[in-house]
Amino acid sequence: MSSSDELPIGQLVRKESVHSRVYTDKKIFDREMEEIFRQGWVFIGHASEVPKKGNFIRRTMGLEEVLMVRTMDNEISVLANRCTHRGNLLCQHKKGKKRNFACEYHGWVFDFKGNLIDVPFSDGFKGELADHATTAAKVSNYRGFVFATFNTDPISLEEHLGRARFALDRASDLAPGGELDLYGGWVEHAFKSNWKMLAENNVDGYHVSFVHDSFAKGIKVNYKYENVLVTEEDKLECVARDLGDGHAEIDYEPTYEKPLVWLGVDPDRYPEYTDAMAKAYGAEESQEIMRKGPPHTFIFPNLFIAETAVTMVQPTGVDGVVNWHTPLYLKGAPEAVNRRILRQCEAALGPSAFLLADDATISERQWAELENSPAWLDLSRGADREEVEEGGTITSHYTDETPNRGYWQHYAKVFNDADARAADNAKSAVEAAE
Amino acid sequence: MSDPTTQPKFLPYEERCEVEDFILTEARYADESRYDDWEALLEDDMIYWVPRGVGDFDPNRDISIINDNRSRVATRIRQLKTGTRHSQTPVSPMSRIISNIVITRLSDSEYKVNANFVLHEIAVQSTEIMNIMPGRVEYHIRRRENGFGMFYKKITLINGASAVPTIAYLI
Repeated sequence: MSSSDELPIGQLVRKESVHSRVYTDKKIFDREMEEIFRQGWVFIGHASEVPKKGNFIRRTMGLEEVLMVRTMDNEISVLANRCTHRGNLLCQHKKGKKRNFACEYHGWVFDFKGNLIDVPFSDGFKGELADHATTAAKVSNYRGFVFATFNTDPISLEEHLGRARFALDRASDLAPGGELDLYGGWVEHAFKSNWKMLAENNVDGYHVSFVHDSFAKGIKVNYKYENVLVTEEDKLECVARDLGDGHAEIDYEPTYEKPLVWLGVDPDRYPEYTDAMAKAYGAEESQEIMRKGPPHTFIFPNLFIAETAVTMVQPTGVDGVVNWHTPLYLKGAPEAVNRRILRQCEAALGPSAFLLADDATISERQWAELENSPAWLDLSRGADREEVEEGGTITSHYTDETPNRGYWQHYAKVFNDADARAADNAKSAVEAAE
Repeated sequence: MSDPTTQPKFLPYEERCEVEDFILTEARYADESRYDDWEALLEDDMIYWVPRGVGDFDPNRDISIINDNRSRVATRIRQLKTGTRHSQTPVSPMSRIISNIVITRLSDSEYKVNANFVLHEIAVQSTEIMNIMPGRVEYHIRRRENGFGMFYKKITLINGASAVPTIAYLI
């Protein structure tokens, strides 16, 4: 990997600006794949996507193919999807159920923890099976959200999630049993831009009145976004937050005066749901959970809870990103509620959606311009009107660049820390040689 | 509704031409982003559906790329006509070829049409890339005064299960 002398990425991030090279430089992208997507925690999938022993899904960590599997011990593992013999992709299917993974090239067989358990024509096999395990990532799960890292000595997932874990609670608590069930499948939307632009845009409140102006004009019925599609600054009541550790959110809660506004319906629309929630949480608490609704929270580096959708950012190159989304289905909620969630999800996200299609277009224009015209980009909006809450969360006006400033400070820290470690290692090596 | 199996295997030539002419006109309106002309072809019970690729999907359970009822198609078209739908400003130049047309009569007044298509689209709003979208399409249409109205269009993209670029135009 590049040393700090070659590429001090941290110097491309200032307090209130960032240099466009972070979006367009292939060498920086390669370092991101190592320091962020191999050494840091990455969202892989939800436990409900592999409900039974032997169920697996194919995903990526950065550019690397991985398999997320429910093992025979009913645990979840994440393995490099690559045969250790000649490097063939171990499993081509996107999802399914298996007893083990047998490579289709020469028949090497791996168990769900990555161990090589059988080699055909074993008389000629010269090594030890134990020396040929495929890489198993470290895996941890919070409320069913499964994260993995190839770092052999990572910080705990709880530490990584920090204050953003409350967003996963907030989403999961909307189900009467407190669990999500992501059975709706994923739509994948390709953008020709850099993955970080999508991550930043998810928690940028400033663009909404401009990029999504056509949706405001096109809709007739009351919609949950009506409160933010206004043009007067002092009438925007939602807030933007930097949660620390690269995580950030826009909170629409201040605009929700009664339960179920986030579903775009009256509080008494789904009595079966509200009764089940009251039974699970008590009358008062359930009303508050259903008033607050789901979060709009980005969890570094690739997970975004977009209210009634779960989305993830998949980098495919310095100039390519795929936005995945699936409905935030609530386990134990009546079908009518989940169907409403599905329809909202389809309206907001994906290649043909009322919102994301326009975000993609703007992002693609932005990327093309920056590739050809490098520049320092301004991130100063609202820096003088932020409030620091207890615990360190920074809150500001909905349109302020507080979330993006937090994102970039964390991004710079990832590389500054990595560069410092590399420098220490180099120093130790020199000392050892003397 | 009469039993389709009792219908003659081949539609009379003129009847086939009428139906074909309708679906090719629909394709032309979509190609040319003639939103009002296209919307005028729709019936009140219209379903405009793009599932996520080839397969057996339940539109009320599996997420779709598009799943519009009549009211949501109306929203879509109002949005396209605002002039600030960035993903179609300016509109994409498009050309779609409709082929392999098989027509089934569903009743005295309704037909099902299955066809293949390939759409070439240039993303002039952003990347200038020419996108090629191939797939199968199923239309349900019914006779009304002055021709036909469309009440179902299902577009199955053969690449729909993979990452697809923005499709903000009428597909």
